[in-house]
Amino acid sequence: MPSIKRMAARVSAAVMAAVTLTTTVAYADEPYTGYNYDWWGDPVPSQNGYVVDQIYTGNDMGAGPLTEPSDMFFSDNEDLFIADTSYKAEGATDSMKGRIVVTDSDFNLKFTVESLDFSAVQDWYDIKESELKSGAITQADYNKYTNPYFNGPTGVYVDTDEGVDTIYVADNANDRVVQFAIDEIGSDDHKLAVGKVQMVYTRPASNMYDASITFNPDKVLVDAAKNVYICIKSITKGAVVYSKEGDFNGYFGANRVEATGEVIMNAFWKLIFNREQAKRMRRSVPVEISNFDIDNDNFIYTVTESKTVTTDVLKKLNSAGTNIFTNLGYSDYTFGDYLTKYYRNKTYTSQITDVDVDENGVINLLDVATGRVFQYDDECQLLFIFGGLGQQKGTFTTPNAVESLGDKIYVLDGRKASVTVFKQTEFGAIVHNAIALFNKGKYEEAREPWEEAIRRDSNYWLAYIGLGNAYLNEGDYETAMKYFYYNSKTGYNDAFKSWRMNFIRDNFTLFAIIIVVLIIAIYVISSIRNKRRIKRRAEQERIFKERNKGKEDV
Amino acid sequence: MRFDLDMPAWKWPFYIMRHPFEGFEDLRWKKAYNMKVALVIVALLFIVSVCSELMTGFLFENRTVKVFNIVPIIIRTIVIFFTWVVGNWALCTLFDGEGTMKNICVNTAYALVPYIIGQVINIILSNCLLRTESAFITFVSYVTILWTAVLLISGMKTVHQYSIPKTLLFMLITLLAMVVILILIVLLVSLFQQVYVFVYSIYTELLYRNANLEPTALVFIMIGVVVAVLAIIFASYTAFEKHKIAKERKKLNS
Repeated sequence: MPSIKRMAARVSAAVMAAVTLTTTVAYADEPYTGYNYDWWGDPVPSQNGYVVDQIYTGNDMGAGPLTEPSDMFFSDNEDLFIADTSYKAEGATDSMKGRIVVTDSDFNLKFTVESLDFSAVQDWYDIKESELKSGAITQADYNKYTNPYFNGPTGVYVDTDEGVDTIYVADNANDRVVQFAIDEIGSDDHKLAVGKVQMVYTRPASNMYDASITFNPDKVLVDAAKNVYICIKSITKGAVVYSKEGDFNGYFGANRVEATGEVIMNAFWKLIFNREQAKRMRRSVPVEISNFDIDNDNFIYTVTESKTVTTDVLKKLNSAGTNIFTNLGYSDYTFGDYLTKYYRNKTYTSQITDVDVDENGVINLLDVATGRVFQYDDECQLLFIFGGLGQQKGTFTTPNAVESLGDKIYVLDGRKASVTVFKQTEFGAIVHNAIALFNKGKYEEAREPWEEAIRRDSNYWLAYIGLGNAYLNEGDYETAMKYFYYNSKTGYNDAFKSWRMNFIRDNFTLFAIIIVVLIIAIYVISSIRNKRRIKRRAEQERIFKERNKGKEDV
Repeated sequence: MRFDLDMPAWKWPFYIMRHPFEGFEDLRWKKAYNMKVALVIVALLFIVSVCSELMTGFLFENRTVKVFNIVPIIIRTIVIFFTWVVGNWALCTLFDGEGTMKNICVNTAYALVPYIIGQVINIILSNCLLRTESAFITFVSYVTILWTAVLLISGMKTVHQYSIPKTLLFMLITLLAMVVILILIVLLVSLFQQVYVFVYSIYTELLYRNANLEPTALVFIMIGVVVAVLAIIFASYTAFEKHKIAKERKKLNS
């Protein structure tokens, strides 16, 4: 019979082995560590909100390999449209480059579009022909405008109206944005379909459009009124806007000029210079917007991809082109990483290249310099940071586009030619649930998920703000102040305001008595001191006179 | 004859605060400069600065550093104060200023009283006010800083018996002198640091070369070396003196 001691040793050894085994099995690390920024702007480690779910290449979709895809878009029908920019079919000429790959949300190929059919826009065709004859456009332009193939499509947008998709493609090297629909889908491997062109948006003839500036559409967007917004890298005045009928409507949402030292000096010199000299000065122009997205309420979010500029990195524009974040103070926030990092002879400054807004108003920003996705809530409070640069699963080399569908985030990598799908972790789900509840005004219900979030990550400052708001709403101002302390000045201010009011109301009699007593005390003491002083003065004068009796000069 | 000026030393700063222009003149006339009170005021300035760093209400503090560090506060208060005193004295004695180091020190310290009081008020207010009521705090700090500036000008004017434009000019130059002094101090400190590093590297060198030697023995060796160097210096100095005296005697004899 083995002794109890030996048995215990055996059992404990077995348990230890089991524990080691399970831990090694359950241990699946991401190639990036989640982090967040604390009150002082220092990065603190945090739980990951998103982890890699799956990676899909073109072959996985069944469309053959992708070649430097640069944009993707989820339509309202939950179909994924990918602008496969540098794709070349067999036997393609130089002006035939790129295609649109369409899959459903599970990445099963629906169809691909490589060519266009202009038969539905014969009127437009005739106009272009007559313009060519009259010399208004050159032969090269004409060839570009009427090219039945894409030439490097860099942007795609789908407007779904009563279940029918209208596709807008920014056909970069063809200097146009084409609007087309699909009627029939071929039966070959790639399910080739021909786009039935409905409208072509080309360079405006208006003299508001500077003749020296090229017209290479980069990204495209359509609002509820079917106005078309085209983002062009060479234009600093904002996005070019066309009406539904194809008329040029001007520009939309220009950035502000950042007040650098040079700009301020220029403003100073302008006061002194005459007009001729001022003309010769270097003009300070804002940085162009690099990408945009539109939310369900028709607000357009623009981002700016610049290493040096920090103004207007993210804007939320209403239909008049006014930045809503400005009044709320969010436009002063830092988006992306707070600090520039210098590592192996390379500086890493955040360059936000794409923005995505989901149905709850959660904003995802894609940083091309660090390969990270920064997720913000609708009040521009940082939720999660995930992704990175590298060759592993979950990191990118040239991240080009970010999209979201449900609780998943999709990132398109150009050089890896693949779509990476991120899924929410448990922690991410808790936080998002709490935010959704909070935005609906259900502060009480949001309390439990926020408390859970703090249990899992005590550095997660947004949870403290959420709890503070919950207690503030409940009327427990003192606890609310405790949670807001070193987390939110606004929240602390509100809580303190109510707390102070209650405090004064509760202790009003005490305050009144103290004030009355103080006034009386001051009066009495000062009168006593005055009397004493007068007495002392008289005494001193008497002594002085006595001492100097008989002397004249005093 | 003014009998109301017969007051204890600690009452003078408050009297001067209430009489910015004649207060310093009275102080000068009464010769009531008191170094102890001045040093207490400087200490108070330091304490109040620390308190304002630590106790300002959350709504009104905008610290960018997480960890409290006392060194910048020491520099901001005590070091700056004494550099001002030294700089001002060094300049103004060369330009007909009548102030002694002590008088300048006392006058400067007395001029700081409104600022200290304003800081105390602001610490209390910042714990009671909302962000929308921040105007009170700005008001208090502006008024007290202006008051201190007026007192400082008046004090410098009185202590050196200058005209007002000359006072202002020399206060500006004093600021430059302070910069120079601080740069020199920084230079000196870094130099001494290098000397320390030099000595320390010799120590480590000896330690590595004679691994069987005890560190304490090395310390004694170092002390011995230092004493020897000092002895050599002293001996050569005395020899030089003797030589000089002998020379003088020769001169006198001849």
